[in-house]
Amino acid sequence: MSATWADAPTWLRRSLVALVVLVLLTPVFALAAGAVGYAEPLENVAEATGATEHERTLLSSPFPDYSVAGTGTVVGTLVSGLVGTAVTLLVAVGLGRLLDRDVDT
Amino acid sequence: MHIPDGFLDPWVLAGCFVLAAAAIGFSSWRLNGRLDDARVPLLGVVSAGIFAAQMLNWPIPGGTSAHFVGGAFAAILLGPYLGCLAMASVVVVQAFVFGDGGVLALGANLLNMAVVDVFVGYALFRALVGLGETIAAFVAGWGAITVSAAAVGLQAGLSSTFAYDLATTLTVMTAGHAVLGLVEGLITVLVVRYLLDVRPDLVLGLTGPNTGGDRPEEATV
Repeated sequence: MSATWADAPTWLRRSLVALVVLVLLTPVFALAAGAVGYAEPLENVAEATGATEHERTLLSSPFPDYSVAGTGTVVGTLVSGLVGTAVTLLVAVGLGRLLDRDVDT
Repeated sequence: MHIPDGFLDPWVLAGCFVLAAAAIGFSSWRLNGRLDDARVPLLGVVSAGIFAAQMLNWPIPGGTSAHFVGGAFAAILLGPYLGCLAMASVVVVQAFVFGDGGVLALGANLLNMAVVDVFVGYALFRALVGLGETIAAFVAGWGAITVSAAAVGLQAGLSSTFAYDLATTLTVMTAGHAVLGLVEGLITVLVVRYLLDVRPDLVLGLTGPNTGGDRPEEATV
């Protein structure tokens, strides 16, 4: 990942542009999901069988529910999208590096 | 599909942790030392793309929404072992940075999304690819989501917090996702078809359960 933008293969540059586009779309979808009242099937089952009251949060996360304290849906989602996408990229590349074939030796 | 803390019984959580760790450990072992430099950025962008795509909740009239999960997509693009690690990266970041899925439930969430979703999707794709990549990718996306949802229903149903109502949790999770899975299948087809048209050499899952040994440009259709 030490290569510069111009040295990167075309597919990689295009992929990174696509990532930015996806992140920019996240606030739009967050607003739309909020408008219809977002609920996943698992939440509906938990509701139906009374498991909801057992739900606990054991670890406080920096961006709970993809939001940023003190900001609205648009900014919170956008920041979460940017941070999450970047951190996932770094985690996966780090993992890949650990398993990388040692080409030089 | 993310399971929060408090939903599952300790023995269910422990069992899920063991199974998830075994599958992720096996995948890492298969890839260890065989992962070429060229594969690492591909693993990175696919994982990051799946994270971002999961944030896009498609609103469905009637008060629900569905989002792309991506296990089958990861498996088709990266092969099962690298696909498993891509999804594991996504699920771990979601749990620790965004509180999406509990920390005690991490084993269950990894098992459902990084193991079942990936390996079922891969098996379906490989089994059906003879009928054409479009059919194979659609069934892989749809089937993997449905089986993963059944796994969540099973884990929830076996836990006492859900009042041992295994029939309800299994039915609602499986039936709900059998419908939502159609969206997953559709998105999987669209992205896989696009990539097969522009860069078939990057679709690693087409060439068998490769371990990342060959460079992308050497992989053939």
